[in-house]
Amino acid sequence: MEKNKGCEIWAIGGGKGGTGKSFITSSIGAHLAAKGKRVVLIDADWGGANLHSFFGVNRPQNSLSDFFEKKVPLKSLIMNCGISGLGLIMGNLPSLDSGDIKYAQKIKFFNHVKMLDADYILIDLGAGSHNNTMDTFLLADKMIVVIIPEITSIENMYHFIKNVFFRKLKVVLNSHGLKDSVNDAWKNRGIHGIKTLKELIAYLAGISPHIKDIIDKEMSDFRMHIILNQIRSSRDITVGTSIKSVCLKFLGMHTQYAGYIEYDNCVTSCINKKQQYMLTYPFSHVAKSIGRLSDNLIYVKEVTAATDEYSPGRL
Amino acid sequence: MNIPPEDYNKYFEILELGYNAPLSEVRSSYLRLRALYSSDSIVTSAIIYEFPDDSKQAILDQIDEAYAKLREFFKDKEADHGYKERPSVAGSDIEEYLANVTAFSGPALKMIRERLVVELKDIANFTKIRRQYFEDIELERFEALPTEVYLRGYVVEYARYLSLDPARVAGDYMARYRTWKTTRGNRS
Ligand SMILES: Nc1ncnc2c1ncn2[C@@H]1O[C@H](COP(=O)(O)OP(=O)(O)O)[C@@H](O)[C@H]1O
Ligand SMILES: [Mg+2]
Repeated sequence: MEKNKGCEIWAIGGGKGGTGKSFITSSIGAHLAAKGKRVVLIDADWGGANLHSFFGVNRPQNSLSDFFEKKVPLKSLIMNCGISGLGLIMGNLPSLDSGDIKYAQKIKFFNHVKMLDADYILIDLGAGSHNNTMDTFLLADKMIVVIIPEITSIENMYHFIKNVFFRKLKVVLNSHGLKDSVNDAWKNRGIHGIKTLKELIAYLAGISPHIKDIIDKEMSDFRMHIILNQIRSSRDITVGTSIKSVCLKFLGMHTQYAGYIEYDNCVTSCINKKQQYMLTYPFSHVAKSIGRLSDNLIYVKEVTAATDEYSPGRL
Repeated sequence: MNIPPEDYNKYFEILELGYNAPLSEVRSSYLRLRALYSSDSIVTSAIIYEFPDDSKQAILDQIDEAYAKLREFFKDKEADHGYKERPSVAGSDIEEYLANVTAFSGPALKMIRERLVVELKDIANFTKIRRQYFEDIELERFEALPTEVYLRGYVVEYARYLSLDPARVAGDYMARYRTWKTTRGNRS
């Protein structure tokens, strides 16, 4: 199966519920569609699928469970959500919520996703560090986490990044026939004096130069893109730059600070009035921020510390 | 010193900069990181519990070392090329100067800022507070400045930007302001 040329898959997930993942997925989707891109959104928040609400449309009849259980082609599950160029595939997989989806099934799902005829495919993954979430995350071209400037959300994000990278290490070392090295190291962490991911990585890298090479490569390729949502003052903007620094200094992980979004009461009122935010308030600060961070994601650019361009000076 | 420039790359990395970053960026990155790891921000406290108590201090030491080394690097570059990115200040030892500051007066703040090669417009851009206020603060043109609550806020922002202890700076500065206010009150 060939990946549809030029199609990019972005997965939005991580951290806590309620940070704004679904709002942001719907908004980036609307923005890209308005720029003439063909976009498909997939609501893969197995537990709390609600992406359709951000378009003011009713819960659709068909969902991803038809793909998994009845082998309905993905393409026929795409529904119209009132914006030209933008399609939506509904999640809602109660029967799959409890257990792991088999890895082979996830790969198959992903191969079908890649064949969808679109420029961008955005997958809303929901909160938590379930294996289904992390594996889908790792298969995407861009991994995006949404956080808010609140200690619980930030803590959650560190946790999530560590879990995703741990998962990735397992999968990669597994594929090199080193299946048990990660598990063993972790299981016997008391003996090896391993308390943190950083120490685990150092321990594994010390086993052999071969493993060190693999890990070095994975670490330098591993990139999460961070979106800081619901900021209430321009001072909050620096939370993103600070997180970037902490990820590097404490976890050894590079991250991209893709952008920030202001808190706006109209977001909630739009949902309640069944209005699409980006169509209703296209000239708002939030809409402009969505546009800017979408460009940053496309071109892999980021917010830099306190540059003029990014200081809103309006909060 | 004849260390080839490649050896400085790790110091640029510690300050989270590209290898071609100019001195002005080295400085602002240093100040930003210093402020981050010497305070209790939500960003660090969300992870610090996993790490030993002295891990923030270790990071601060690294940052300080990198900054000191890079100042040398830029000083050498100036000497080699007879060129200066900014006037005169690259090598001056700010810590030593700070140790000798008894009170943060306007002129003392100005001196510190200039030694750090920070321009008023940098602070103004970052804080969104008018540049004029900062100039008046440094020149202690108290009559031109807004009322006490606002002024205190501006002084705190100024101190934060320079990674100075905001409480101490504002304490010193506002004491001077109040002295001026009472003498003025007595006169009129
Ligand atoms: N920038 C924002 N300003 C104001 N409210 C927001 C913003 N982003 C999200 N919200 C609100 O937060 C709530 C949770 O958002 P949602 O996208 O459903 O979060 P998640 O998908 O991460 O669980 C929604 O009710 C939405 O109205
Ligand atoms: Mg959601």
